[in-house]
Amino acid sequence: MESKEPVETEVREEGEKKRFFSDELESSQESLPKFNQMLDSNSSFLFSNGRNDSEIEVPKNVESIDVSSEAEPEECAKHISVEDLRGIIPDIPLNVAKKLCEKYSGQEDGISLAVSQYFEDPPVESKSTNPIKPPEPTQRSLSPKMKKKDYGYRSPKRLKPSIKWRRFIGSLQVNAMATRPTIRPLKYGTELKIASVGGNIKASKLYNSSGSKKAAFASFVKVFDVQQNREIGRVPEDIAQILYPILTLDDFMFEATMIFCDDKRLSIGDNFIVQLDCFITSAIFHESTSSYRNNSFAKNSRARTWEGSQTIVETEEEIESRSRRMSLLALFDKLRVRPVTNDNKSQQDAEVIDLEDDGNPSELKKLDNEHGSLDDQHPQEDTMNLNQLQLFYKATQSVESLEKLPEMEPPKDTFKLTLRRYQKQGLAWMLKREHEFDKIPLSESDQEIDENMMNPLWNQFEWPKDMSWAAQKIKEGKNDELGHNDRFFYANLHTAEFSTEKPVLKTTMKGGILSDEMGLGKTISTLSLILSAPNDSEYLLNEKGNEGETEYSTKKPYAAKTTLIVVPMSLLAQWSSEFDKANSSSQLHSEVYYGGNVSSLKTLLTRTKNPPTVVLTTYGIVQNEWSKMSRGKSSSQSDGMSGLFSIEFHRIVIDEGHTIRNRMTATSKAVMQLASRCRWVLTGTPIINRLDDLYSLVKFLRLEPWSQIGYWKMFISDPFEKKNFKQAFDVVNAILGPVSLRRTKQMKDASGKKLVELPPKEVVVEKLHFSKGQEKVYKYFLDRAESSVKSGLAHGDLLKKYSTILVHILRLRQICCDAALLGTQDENDEDLRNSNQQFNESIDVANILGESKTNATKAETDMKAILANVQRKYPSEESFKNLECSICTTEPINLQSIMFIGCGHCFCGPCLEEFMDFQKQKKLELRCPNCRELFDSQCLLSLRLQEEGDPTLVPYNQSSKPAKIHSLVKHLRQLQDKSAGEQIVVFSQFSSYLDVLERELSDVFSKDVSQIYKFDGRLNLKERSGILRDFSIKDLSKQKILLLSLKAGGVGLNLTCASYAFMMDPWWSPSMEDQAIDRIHRIGQTNNVKVIRFIMENSIEEKMLRIQERKRTIGEAMDADEDERRKRRIEEIKMLFE
Amino acid sequence: MASLPKRIIKETERLVSDPVPGITAEPHEDNLRYFQVTIEGPQQSPYENGVFNLELFLPDDYPMEAPKVRFLTKIYHPNIDKLGRICLDVLKTNWSPALQIRTVLLSVQALLASPNPNDPLANDVAEDWIKDEEGAIKTAREWTEAYASKKDQKSTN
Repeated sequence: MESKEPVETEVREEGEKKRFFSDELESSQESLPKFNQMLDSNSSFLFSNGRNDSEIEVPKNVESIDVSSEAEPEECAKHISVEDLRGIIPDIPLNVAKKLCEKYSGQEDGISLAVSQYFEDPPVESKSTNPIKPPEPTQRSLSPKMKKKDYGYRSPKRLKPSIKWRRFIGSLQVNAMATRPTIRPLKYGTELKIASVGGNIKASKLYNSSGSKKAAFASFVKVFDVQQNREIGRVPEDIAQILYPILTLDDFMFEATMIFCDDKRLSIGDNFIVQLDCFITSAIFHESTSSYRNNSFAKNSRARTWEGSQTIVETEEEIESRSRRMSLLALFDKLRVRPVTNDNKSQQDAEVIDLEDDGNPSELKKLDNEHGSLDDQHPQEDTMNLNQLQLFYKATQSVESLEKLPEMEPPKDTFKLTLRRYQKQGLAWMLKREHEFDKIPLSESDQEIDENMMNPLWNQFEWPKDMSWAAQKIKEGKNDELGHNDRFFYANLHTAEFSTEKPVLKTTMKGGILSDEMGLGKTISTLSLILSAPNDSEYLLNEKGNEGETEYSTKKPYAAKTTLIVVPMSLLAQWSSEFDKANSSSQLHSEVYYGGNVSSLKTLLTRTKNPPTVVLTTYGIVQNEWSKMSRGKSSSQSDGMSGLFSIEFHRIVIDEGHTIRNRMTATSKAVMQLASRCRWVLTGTPIINRLDDLYSLVKFLRLEPWSQIGYWKMFISDPFEKKNFKQAFDVVNAILGPVSLRRTKQMKDASGKKLVELPPKEVVVEKLHFSKGQEKVYKYFLDRAESSVKSGLAHGDLLKKYSTILVHILRLRQICCDAALLGTQDENDEDLRNSNQQFNESIDVANILGESKTNATKAETDMKAILANVQRKYPSEESFKNLECSICTTEPINLQSIMFIGCGHCFCGPCLEEFMDFQKQKKLELRCPNCRELFDSQCLLSLRLQEEGDPTLVPYNQSSKPAKIHSLVKHLRQLQDKSAGEQIVVFSQFSSYLDVLERELSDVFSKDVSQIYKFDGRLNLKERSGILRDFSIKDLSKQKILLLSLKAGGVGLNLTCASYAFMMDPWWSPSMEDQAIDRIHRIGQTNNVKVIRFIMENSIEEKMLRIQERKRTIGEAMDADEDERRKRRIEEIKMLFE
Repeated sequence: MASLPKRIIKETERLVSDPVPGITAEPHEDNLRYFQVTIEGPQQSPYENGVFNLELFLPDDYPMEAPKVRFLTKIYHPNIDKLGRICLDVLKTNWSPALQIRTVLLSVQALLASPNPNDPLANDVAEDWIKDEEGAIKTAREWTEAYASKKDQKSTN
């Protein structure tokens, strides 16, 4: 003991320290690793024994023990009282209790025997139905006839009529230590027995509140010689810890055999090796036979609050049941019993849940090195990113769905579009999820898909081959013991429940998540569902026969014929028109509920004869009504009484469902409150940032029990944060598998074709140089931003200054577009909105540029001379006519864009600029193309056209033309030349920039050449749909340009009429840009898609690209913990300014 | 293939509708930026009565960048090498976007009329030319006869 004692206290202290830090309320999960860790820390004894004799523990109290073997059981036997029994079974009749007490009193585990006797054999019939009498308590001597399978006085056959069979689960080599001297050496193969002594010690004495043990267990678990029925030794502490709590249960049986004692008689303190064969018995598979399982996990976890403090003290039984659970886990771990996983690759990695999880890393490493590496997957999974996560989805569910799901044709009389094959499968699946079984063609295979989903809390185990001593020695012995021949058994290691049958997860929730990738037609699939099953037919049937139907007793009236669709505002019109396109029944119609156009939704839906099949509304409306309602009835009674929240809908569909991913937002809270019987989420990106995004969806779906945050946290968030990705994802998969359907464009249908063949898309980053003026302004702001960041880094308060820095960054980004954006308030800019700091400082760009004015005097005088020269050459308005641009051979040159150089020759502005760019790039001198005279690119003249009077020559200020606009104009012009009537989308995140672009482009292009449309958040619904409609009409005589705000139009819109897009500025998150590009590159697109992203060279935008890249590789999904996020944010800021 | 800039289309049309005397240039059916060119040897030059085949290619950056021109017919000329490459300032440093296919070809024709052995591309030819101008001119005539005589040309229009 001496050698061991210090180690133990240390471990315990460590456990307690840990606990101090982990402020989350203790759950059984959390404490498991600690317990396990303690076991592990002792495990060296197990594996080093035989080599390190010096370290072997020597009991202190050796001398006192020399009790006869007869007396031994007496010592550990325990008298049971009626009170003891009543403590466990409060309702037990007194006479029965007395009988049981009499019967089992004096046996070492009498209480539990009595209890199981009570449950197994109801007291009235106990005598008649129990063919095998329990042994008399006094029976001590062993009959010599009892053989191998008759283990002392606790033969399973006699003691436990309930045990029908047992099966081997593993063997341990236990390095035991003699506590009694033996007269002769014990033979190899001598039958031994492990038994607990000391009887019923209260669990609270063994464990302290944190679940660490208080006492040494080794003194309670002894090794007996069966033949002589005397104690011979004890097992090491770690084994004792495992065995003690479960030794007396029916659920387990242990057989011990002497396999090594050096062939000499044992003295006290000698080592000997025992093979311990472990069995689990049929008892463990019966519910409620074993007392600790009654204390089910769920009850425990609910009793303790999750976020709450640790004040709730565990009861005696709880400690006991937990200690047993932990023993079980530890035993499984020691025996290397591991769950079977379907995935062959990860089979090796599959861990027994949480066992190795929280342990001391170095300890773990050591262990791993000794027994093959368990943790090999960690380095890999640390870098699991968003893409992998999505792959993960894909792999698990929907591939097989494409083969297995039946296809279903929507009814022709209500739905007039043709569905693609996978959409038909989607329809069948959705109908099934709504339990509309009579509408789907029956197929056996499709039922298996969700029937087979195993409850994620359970693990599948394979019965190991029987390697027990008995089985190896006596072959036929095996047959007796096999009660059944299943290959697998199942265990829930969280609750220590066992089952021989596969625990199937069943959901009663109607609805689900349709998370097909963008562009696969979620809208169409949903409409086909709505039109196939427009109303709750079951309810309507019942209603006819039974007016006062109370089956669904909600206070709200039920709109059985109506589906509510909640969409982002930009999609409202699109949904409405898609519905009209798909609907072929005159009976069915839709209603847009927006902007107060319906006075009482309740009346409309429940009182009218033919209520709308679909009510379309926006997240904004839902949130608005909800906040009004929750603010109090007084403000607006009518809304509360007749609005969205006054009705229970037949079905709710939320489009772009990731909108509610943050459950703390008002929108999310509001949407959760909507009542309906079927609930659907449509989203192409179920996870935007983190795994918990899914929780909101689950909560919206009311998918019990996962919609309780506690469950979610325990089985998904916590393991994920502990980097136990495998578990978290397994559970996520099991939860979402049955209720969600995800297909991607790359997937192949049953006939091996890709679901969607899209024409190729090309995304080009075009790097541009600042114009002179822009560069100056940029430099000015960059210096200021850098000094601010530097001081932030120096003082370590970078994040406190976060909003200031965001403003700095924003300015730089604006200058990259156009210095004119500086100082504009942009509703679409998230960065600014999030910061409270107003952007108040006045910015005088002219001032900054003014610094260079003094230097420019020489240029000014030059300019004057040139002006005079050119004026001389072109004396009248007439002289401006019929000029030819020698570069593009256009004749006459458009006077709007004409440009003159020093020698007096003139060109189209864009041609000249292209020429100057080209020469600059080739580092060639600028000479007039016509006369080869050198000219100054700073001294250019353009014409100012006036409504009345002659056009006048004015100096052309090149610095006013920012590079991006310049380049955009160039591209647009090229496209005009190339192909007529092209439709082009221009994205920007700054709506004020869209204004600038609108102005500039309409300056450059005349109305008969191009038509410019602008779509941003400031438009109302009608204007939006009008613009989109006009834009989509092809007009060969005009180039149509749609200026689109990334935030207002980045999602949902269908712009396949265009095949060119320009991204004016980069966005922080690459996925946002991808979404935007997918507006064009989606089903219906027939042309090659070309996207040009403008990036200013040597600017913050280039660095943003790098951050985007980083986000793609690290994956935003990993942003699980706050510290990590802060660190990353600082890194990003550093990256921006390095 | 990307469509042609307006300027190229315009130039091509003009070459056909208003051809330069002694020069033809026709775009290839498959690639409208590739031209098959013939130039007649200027009178009073060693290349008189010869018809020379050339190829001309307009790069993507045309007209910012000069067209690429090369003789296909063998020619004995100090500024044109064995491979038919031409040393001509407007094709190199003196290019200007104001120049066109037509002007370039005229320059080439002018080069035939006045060889410049002091700025040679074919060094051996230039040496001959400087040492023995008459002999060189004779050789040039013989070559023209041998390789560029009108009868042998398929396209003599």
